[in-house]
Amino acid sequence: MARYIAGRLVETVVALLIMSFLIYGLIGLMPGDPIDIMVQADPNLTTADAARLKALYGLDKPLMERYVNWLEAALQGDFGYSRVHNAPVLEVLLPRLGNSLLLMGLSFIFALLIALPIGVYSAIRPYGARDYAINFVALAGISIPVFWFALMLIYLFAVEWSLLPASGMRSIGTADTGMEGLLDRAKYLVLPVLALSAASVGGFTRFVRASTMETMRHDYIRTARAKGLSERRVVLKHGLRNAMIPVVTIIALSFGSLFSGALITETMFSYLGMGKLIYDSILGNDYNLALVGLLFATLLTLIANLAADICYAWLDPRISYGGESGS
Amino acid sequence: MSSMTRLAARRFMRHRMALASGVLLILMALAAGVAPLVEGLLGVDGNEVDLLARFGAAGPGHPLGTDELGRDVLVRLLFGGQVSLIVALITAFAAAVIGAAIGLVAGYYGGWVDALLMRLTDGVIALPLLPLLIILAAVDMSKIPFLAGLDDSAASSLYRIVLIITLVGWTTVARLVRGAALSLRTREYVLAARSMGASGLRIMTIHILPNVMSPIIVATTLSVGNIILFESVLSFLGLGIQPPIASWGNMLNNAQELIYEAPALAFYPGMAIFLTVIAFNFLGDGLQDALDPKATEYDKGNA
Amino acid sequence: MTALLEAHGLSKHFAIRGAGLFARQIATLRAVDEVSLTIEAGRCLALVGESGCGKTSLARCLALLHRPSAGSISFDGEVVYDDKLNNYKAIRRDIQMVFQDPYGALNPRMTVAAIIAEPLNIHSVGDRGERAARVVELMESVGLSPALADRYPHEFSGGQRQRIGIARALALRPRLIIADEPVSALDVSVQSQVLNLMLDLQDAMGLSYLFISHDLAVVEHMADVVAVMYLGRIVEQAPRDELFASPSHPYSQALLRSIPRPGGGKRARGAALGGEVPSPLDPPAGCPFHPRCPRAADICREARPLLEPVAGDQDHLAACHFKGET
Repeated sequence: MARYIAGRLVETVVALLIMSFLIYGLIGLMPGDPIDIMVQADPNLTTADAARLKALYGLDKPLMERYVNWLEAALQGDFGYSRVHNAPVLEVLLPRLGNSLLLMGLSFIFALLIALPIGVYSAIRPYGARDYAINFVALAGISIPVFWFALMLIYLFAVEWSLLPASGMRSIGTADTGMEGLLDRAKYLVLPVLALSAASVGGFTRFVRASTMETMRHDYIRTARAKGLSERRVVLKHGLRNAMIPVVTIIALSFGSLFSGALITETMFSYLGMGKLIYDSILGNDYNLALVGLLFATLLTLIANLAADICYAWLDPRISYGGESGS
Repeated sequence: MSSMTRLAARRFMRHRMALASGVLLILMALAAGVAPLVEGLLGVDGNEVDLLARFGAAGPGHPLGTDELGRDVLVRLLFGGQVSLIVALITAFAAAVIGAAIGLVAGYYGGWVDALLMRLTDGVIALPLLPLLIILAAVDMSKIPFLAGLDDSAASSLYRIVLIITLVGWTTVARLVRGAALSLRTREYVLAARSMGASGLRIMTIHILPNVMSPIIVATTLSVGNIILFESVLSFLGLGIQPPIASWGNMLNNAQELIYEAPALAFYPGMAIFLTVIAFNFLGDGLQDALDPKATEYDKGNA
Repeated sequence: MTALLEAHGLSKHFAIRGAGLFARQIATLRAVDEVSLTIEAGRCLALVGESGCGKTSLARCLALLHRPSAGSISFDGEVVYDDKLNNYKAIRRDIQMVFQDPYGALNPRMTVAAIIAEPLNIHSVGDRGERAARVVELMESVGLSPALADRYPHEFSGGQRQRIGIARALALRPRLIIADEPVSALDVSVQSQVLNLMLDLQDAMGLSYLFISHDLAVVEHMADVVAVMYLGRIVEQAPRDELFASPSHPYSQALLRSIPRPGGGKRARGAALGGEVPSPLDPPAGCPFHPRCPRAADICREARPLLEPVAGDQDHLAACHFKGET
C-alpha cells in the first residue's frame, strides 16, 4: 500500500512537471509577448529599445532555457509578477483561490445533499414513474449550458423578481464580519452556487443510482433479505456502504469539471474567484498570472485524483494487497 | 446479424424518451437544413443588419423577433443550428476515430504501450478542460509553423474549434475501446488469427474493432452533447465560432448585457442548445440499453 | 518414423506483479517447466492432464502464441525457435490450431466463408475465385453444406462450429494440427462425430496431431502416443496401448484408475488420489507429485526425477524414482 502511494506521488509530480512545461509552451504561443504590448502602448519605444528589453528579460532565449529559468525561480517560491495587478502573482492568486474553493465547496455539498437521497431512492424503486422523472431531471442537469442557466437565473431572480443580486460578492458598505456580513455574503452566493451545481446534481444522481443498483444486485443483499432484515436495514446497512465506494472516487474525479463550471459561473456573476482570474489574465495578456493560475488548477485536480486513487485502493482490498494473477 | 439488430431495435423502441429524442433531433436537423428556404420564405437575409429594426417583437415577417442588430432571430437560430450541429458531429466523429485508434493499440498490445497511453489518457482526463480550451482557443496561430494557414477569420474559427475540442475529447472512447480490446485479445478467435500469422493491424481492425462498435456508438453519441456544450461556451466567450457565422453559442454573446432589454434573445439560443444536448443524452442512453444491455453503468472516471 | 515437431527443454514462466507502475514481481508461475517432446509425422500425440497442468500453455508455445521463456523448437529437423532465433514465420502455414470453445473460436461478426477463407487472405493464396472454391472444398471435407457459407456462427450448433474451426485450420494444408480440447465442450453424442472426422482427415491428408484432452476415453480413441502432464512437466510418455496397459508413473496410474468402466464396482477402481493439485506458483520441491503420491519416499522430496526410459524401452518414458516397479 505504501509502495502504491509512493508510486502515485511520483507520478503526480512527473505529471505536474510535464503539464507545467506544456502550459508554459502554450502560453508562449499567445499573441504578442509582454514587450510587444509595451511597445504598442508607448510609441516612444524604438525597435532597438524593444530588442534591448527583450534581452534584458531573457525573452529572446530558446523555449527550453526560458522554461528552466522559470522553473528554477518557481521552485524557490518566485512566481513572477502580475502585469495587470502590479503585484506578485501569489499575492493575487491565493485570496481568489479561497473564494473559488468556497464556491466549489458549497456547490459540491449542495449537489451531494440532493443527489445522494434521490439517487438511492431512485435505485430502490427503479423503473417506476418517479425513477423516470428523477432521471429526466438529472439528465437535464447535465445537459444545460451553465452559462445559460446562470443567465436565466439572473433574469428571474435579479431582473424580474429583484430577489437576489446579479453579480459581485458583497454589498458595498455592509459589515465584513458578523451575522450581517455573513448573510450579505450568502445572498451573493445563492445564484452562483445554484448555477454551478446543476451539472453536478445531475451527474451525481445518475451515478449514485447506478452504483446503488449494482450493489443491490449482489448476493449478499439477498442474503440479508433472507435473514429477515427489514428492507430499510438492508439498504442502509449493507447496500449503501458498498455502493459508496465508487461514489467516493467519482466525487474526487469530478473536480476537473467542477473547476471548469466554476470558471464560467465566476465570470457570469463577476465573482472574484480563481476561474475568473485565469480567464481575465489569458485574455488580458497577463501571462505570468495565467500560467501560475492554470498550474494551480492542474495541481489541485491532480491532487484530487491522487486522493481518489488512494481512497479507492484503501477501500478495495484487492488493489492494496497487490497481485493480479498472471497473463 | 440482422436478427441481432432487430432485437436491438426492438429494445430501443421501448425507450420512449430515446425515441422522442431521436425524432426531435431529426426534426431539428431538417429544420436547420432548410434554413435557406425559410430565409427565402420570410423574405429576409439572416446577415442583414438593420439598425432601425432592433429588438423587434415577434410578428409577421419575424416569427421570433429581431436581435440587437436587427437581424431575424429565427433565421439566425436555424443557421446557427446548422453550424453547431455540423461542428459537433464532425468533432465527435474525429474524436471517436482518434480515441478508437489509441484504445485499440493500447488494449491489443498491452504492456508498456498500454501503460504509457493510459497514463497519457488519464492525464488529459484529469485536466480542467475549460481553462485549457480557452488557452488553446486564444493561441496565436501564426506562431505555429504548420498551422499558420489558420488566420483569424470566421471560417478558420470553425476549423480551429473542431481541432481543439478533438484534441481533448478523445479520451472517453479511448478508455472504452482499450478496456474492450484488453478483454477481447484473449478470445480464441483472436488467438486463432494470431496463430494464422495475422498482423496486429489486421487483428485490430477486423477482429477487435467490429466487436467494439456498439460501445463506440454509444460513447460517441453521448459525447456530442458535451461537445455542443463546450463549443457554445467558447463561442459565448468570443473564443469559438466567430461572427458573422452564427452559432447558438455566439448568439448569446451579448446576452448578458441585453438581459434587461431583451431577455427573449437570451432565451432562444440557450433553449436550443439545451434541447439538443438533452436529446443526444437520451438518445445515447437509449442506444446503450439497446446495444449493450449488460454493461454496468459506471466505471472509474465517468460521472 | 520421422520427427515432425520437436521441443527441447521448453519452459514458459509468467511473472506475477503487484499493482501500480513501480510494483515488483511477487511470484513466478511456471506453467511449462522444461518439457521435451517429439511429434512424429502422420501420428497423433495426445497430451493428457488435469486442468491447470500446463497443457494449454504448452500447446500455445508450440504454436508460438506465447513466447517460450526457454528452450528450443525444431520443425522438420531444423531449429525454428530458440533464444537467438525466431523463424516461425516460415512454418506458420504448417502448424494450425483448433480451439476448445466453439463459441469463442469464431468471430461472431464474420460469415463462415470469411472465417474459413481468412488464412488464405492473410497469406494471399490464390485469387478470389480460387479462394471461394477452396472454401467450398473445405466445407465439404468437414461435412458442412457449402450453401451455409454466408451464415454467421451463432446460427450453427456447437458441433458444426467445431467443424468450421477444423475447416479453417485445414485451409493452408498444414502438416500439424494442434487441437486444444476440441471436443470437451460438445455433447457426448456429437463428440464421436467430430473425433471420427478428425481421424478421417488424418488418413486422407497425412496430418499429424497434437491432441490435448483431459478425457482419457477420448484419448484412447485418438492417440498413437500419449504424454501425461503434471504441474507443467511431462511425467510419462508411451505408446497408447502400452500406457493404458501398464502405466509406470503413480499419477498416470491414478488417472487410469479413475476412468469409469462398466461392470466394475468401487473396489475395481482402486484407491482414489488424495489431496489437490498444488498451485503452480509454489510447486513442491523435488518430484512435484510427492505430496500426493502413495509411494513417496525421502528421495522424492529432495531430487527431481528426470524423464527416462522405463526398463530400457526407449518408447516408454517416465519421471519417477520408482519407475518400472509395479
